[in-house]
Amino acid sequence: MTASPPSDPEIPGDLPVSRRRGPDSRPGHDRETGARPSVTGDRETGPRLSATSDRETGARPSATRDRDGGPRRHREAGPRRTHGMRAAMSAVALGVAGALTLAACGTRPSEVAAAKTDKPIVVGISLPLTGDFAQPGSEAKRGYEVWRDMVNAKGGILGRKVELKIADDASNQDTVVADYTKLITQDKVDLLLGTFSSLLNYPASAVAEKNGMVFVEPAGGAPNMFTRNFKYLFFAQPATAPHQADVFVNWVKTLPESERPKTAAYPSQDDPFAQPVIDSMQKQLEALGVKTVYSQLYPADTTNFQTIASTMASEKPDLIAQGAVFEDGVGLVRGLKQLNYSPKILFQTSAPSNAGQYSDAVGLPNTEGVFYTVSWNEKATTPLNSDFVSAYKKAYNADPAEDAADAFAAAQVLQTATEKVGAINQDKIRDWLHANEVQTILGPLSWEATGEPKGQFLLAQWQSGKVEVVAPADVATSKTVVNPKPAWK
Amino acid sequence: MTQLVQAIVLGLLIGGVYALMASGLTLIFGVMRIINVAQGAFLILVAMITWWLWRVTGIDPILASVITTPLMFGFGWVAYRLLLSRIRGASPSMSVLLTFGFALVIEGVLNVTAGNKFKSATPSYFEESFRVGAISLPKAQVFGFVAAMVVLAALYYVLTRTWTGRAIRAATQNPSGAALVGVGAAGTAALAFAIGSATTGVGGSILSVLYPFFPASHYDWISRLLGIVVLGGMGSLPGALAGAGILGLAETLTATYGSLNWSTLVFYIVIMVVLLIRPQGLFGAKLREDTV
Repeated sequence: MTASPPSDPEIPGDLPVSRRRGPDSRPGHDRETGARPSVTGDRETGPRLSATSDRETGARPSATRDRDGGPRRHREAGPRRTHGMRAAMSAVALGVAGALTLAACGTRPSEVAAAKTDKPIVVGISLPLTGDFAQPGSEAKRGYEVWRDMVNAKGGILGRKVELKIADDASNQDTVVADYTKLITQDKVDLLLGTFSSLLNYPASAVAEKNGMVFVEPAGGAPNMFTRNFKYLFFAQPATAPHQADVFVNWVKTLPESERPKTAAYPSQDDPFAQPVIDSMQKQLEALGVKTVYSQLYPADTTNFQTIASTMASEKPDLIAQGAVFEDGVGLVRGLKQLNYSPKILFQTSAPSNAGQYSDAVGLPNTEGVFYTVSWNEKATTPLNSDFVSAYKKAYNADPAEDAADAFAAAQVLQTATEKVGAINQDKIRDWLHANEVQTILGPLSWEATGEPKGQFLLAQWQSGKVEVVAPADVATSKTVVNPKPAWK
Repeated sequence: MTQLVQAIVLGLLIGGVYALMASGLTLIFGVMRIINVAQGAFLILVAMITWWLWRVTGIDPILASVITTPLMFGFGWVAYRLLLSRIRGASPSMSVLLTFGFALVIEGVLNVTAGNKFKSATPSYFEESFRVGAISLPKAQVFGFVAAMVVLAALYYVLTRTWTGRAIRAATQNPSGAALVGVGAAGTAALAFAIGSATTGVGGSILSVLYPFFPASHYDWISRLLGIVVLGGMGSLPGALAGAGILGLAETLTATYGSLNWSTLVFYIVIMVVLLIRPQGLFGAKLREDTV
């Protein structure tokens, strides 16, 4: 029980909250949508986002899609011939125009220049430094800059210094397209790195794809990012939402039959980064024979959780797995505590990752044994992670946020591929990334042909008032796993 | 049966707190035809001050309203004199614009000063419950409810039994008539706005204990409060109480017996149905100008 007043809130890992709803550090998701537009209600956000991306930007790639846009347009124009010669003619004209444009793009000046030079390598980036995503966007900027300084301290890439050219897209889809177009066509940057959120990466990646530039992005895991068969797109996080709970399910599998949960309850917020995680976990656990006794979605503006807690508690589930953004996670823990019902295992998607804010809100003793999954942890024993953390702390006198770590990892991916290929050759970098695994501070990353990552998240648990990584074993910071969760204090 | 009683009791407890939060909004609208979109931001402002007081001095957050209530009274008075008095006589849409801007300013200032983080006051009782048979009554909710009822009763007393209150109500019902018999319109309006703001002193302190909040949380609250006020009848205090009770019950009953996804929707369906039958809301009075 936290007596008043609680201890110092600045516990390491205490992350700032951005915008509308959740704290920014929702693990592993791009906040794309976390970024509830501040004015409109956030309930609309999930659907609204995908609707806009589909409608507004989905149109864009199909009109100007691949590098082989020229031939593609011929193909698309095919059926039109039946409508008459005029249409066919104009279609061909269009195709030719497209091919000419491509020819121009095809010989990227950067590639020509790459032969022998000691000019710096310019990496073009657009980030939401203002607007809805300003907070995580600024963290991503810090992550990129820490990477640049670390790389340059070691002599740069291919013997050339690295320079970042960062534009501000004001969290706006149109601006981000203009930014990347300008970076590619006018500034003629050598390499690109992605922006922040699926909302912005969706149109931005289409610009990169059209120009045949590799696009490694740190935060943008919405499913429709990967249904476009882009060849130059790489999402530099270990997994998308439906696979974030895999690491937890794998842990359950390691338990002897008698210790596994028999029954489970799955409350989840109707949120694009909470619901798919819980949904997929439920399916996987049901396949293992864990009986579902409760499964409900609640809207984002739900504030009172006592009723949910009491309905659930009456079923006495062994496991409660909640798709929790933040307030809802706190609300449910409080509700369960007020009823004095403590499940044997408690899993929440994002809420517990907001270290100081979570422990302040539920009371530090009540955090004991709570599980969550996350893309990155400050203490993870991945290569270079401690260097990143100390460089970040030195530069900004603050604890790094997950957003900064994700950006750093995206840059690592691009750096590794460029060095392995030995030249700034977009197609070779692309092919190398499709064929190989990259070591990053988030752990090893590798990709499906669509750019969707194939890795897994970290399973973290609150132990004695601190966060420990308990799985996968090779990067775990603690050998012990608290199971079952102790009763509420 | 236990589940039903539990849901109803909880719904009423929640509703009582909502009613307090909505009372200032309905009062301000009643007197001034000002839709104070900043009321939610006032709540968060108070919650933030309460949290800070609790953290620094260890004072009980709900008791801290003894400090925040007069503070908000003064804040409301000054805000009215400096800002809102300038749009007297303009259309209500002006008040929405002005107070929305005001809300954004408060949110921005809180962002800069307090930081964009979740806060939550956690006095020793915040997660304990009273038990009556099989029913559990969360202590924080009970204390919040009691405080809300005390404030609402006091507010009701002031409005119906004191000269000031009568002046406010007179100005609500017939501004020009009230002016004719010597009720100063400007002074009454400032007073009503100040009292309306002062109610957030207790409302915000309770909020800081019951719900985690951060500067932008006010959007959630203002939409909920507007719903309550429209359902109850804009300008009516008993209406706010009834509207809030219905919202509280809709939340807990749909959560217990229906799908959680419906709990918000159910409330708005109730609003729509009520407005179809009674466009002025449950307790709203039809004013002479409305019937013309």
